[in-house]
Amino acid sequence: MAQQHGIIVLIDVDNALKERSLDGNAYWFDNMKFLGSTGVGTGNLTTIVPGSYFLDGSQATEQVLNWLPAALGAVPPTVPRNYHAEQARQIDREALAGIAALDGSDGAEVGRIQEQVGRRAKRTRSSRSLASSKVLDVTGQAAGADAAETYNFPAPVITDITGPAVTEKIMYPAQYGSPDMIYDGWYWAATVDTSRPGTYPYTMHIQLHELVDRDGELVWESVDFTCESALEVITDPKRNAFTGSGVGLLPMPAFPPAP
Amino acid sequence: MPPRTKPEQRTARPVTITAVVDPVAGLAAGTLNDSLYLYDTNRTSGSTGFGTLELRTRVRKGDTLLWNALPLECETFVALVGIDIDRRVAEPVRKVYPGTDIVFWTATVKQEPTRPVPYRLSFLLGAVAEPFIADTSQFLVGSAEVKEHK
Repeated sequence: MAQQHGIIVLIDVDNALKERSLDGNAYWFDNMKFLGSTGVGTGNLTTIVPGSYFLDGSQATEQVLNWLPAALGAVPPTVPRNYHAEQARQIDREALAGIAALDGSDGAEVGRIQEQVGRRAKRTRSSRSLASSKVLDVTGQAAGADAAETYNFPAPVITDITGPAVTEKIMYPAQYGSPDMIYDGWYWAATVDTSRPGTYPYTMHIQLHELVDRDGELVWESVDFTCESALEVITDPKRNAFTGSGVGLLPMPAFPPAP
Repeated sequence: MPPRTKPEQRTARPVTITAVVDPVAGLAAGTLNDSLYLYDTNRTSGSTGFGTLELRTRVRKGDTLLWNALPLECETFVALVGIDIDRRVAEPVRKVYPGTDIVFWTATVKQEPTRPVPYRLSFLLGAVAEPFIADTSQFLVGSAEVKEHK
């Protein structure tokens, strides 16, 4: 099987929420620049999909794509995805230890513990993006009194993938469960029909979360956006990037290379 | 985090500079020159060079800066291991997100740059011991540069 394509959408969440638009606030990447993807790192990515044929002229298999969203200016997705929940628990444990160690009526110390515990925000029960009601800031600490200005942005959530590439049945996107907890056990993937060369745009539907103050209470509210990208299916044969030839087995040296 | 009682109007979050790294391409090429994309959260204040090596981040005296790295392939190790910058302008300090070994760096801008201040980021990729440093500098810029561009 050929290598799977990975596509990452990096969202400038702060500006997207302020401008209520992903125009200029979404940066797209894939790992196929060496095969001819264009606009990597910009808002105008066209992902190359080589491979109507194998090198021997037979019809190639479908290409698999995976999409992963990330938030710019937030705790990066390289921390474990249960990080938010773990960190919320850790902060509470430390605060409980602080309360247990209190002697009498040390007002200043109580204030410090209150600051350390931070604030909680209402969230919808079905939300996957929000692992805990505790509000963290962008360095992983509890956000304080000004939580509505300093909160860490939850990871963007892909809610749908639509557009010509889908309606013309070039790709079949769907959301899958995954044992890979880095992305919360869910990801969007698609298989691409590589038998019809051409350029096919598609629309990604993305949900961001905004922390707002409603009558003195913090509430997470979701805001829906869309942004665009495209697939370009070309007739070049699928190749093995190591050998430049067919996608079969790698050539084995007669002897293992010297260490 | 910045002190919570700042008299002047200023963004509450740090100005975050994120290095998006394609570690597989960088390891294959032996250089980061074609596999590093830089972004910051200050575009609306006048930062330029998004998605290139030559990111020019608009800063003001007193701003908190935060640098972190985002690998394009989460299976491959990437870490930001150094920031080489004029210490009269900023002294970056290495930190980790609490409870993890994921690194970020923070610094306070000591003075608004009168001319662009270059700096270099260095990264560790995969299991290679030598750090990767791109051939091109990144910059912190002040209000003078932003006016010039307008």
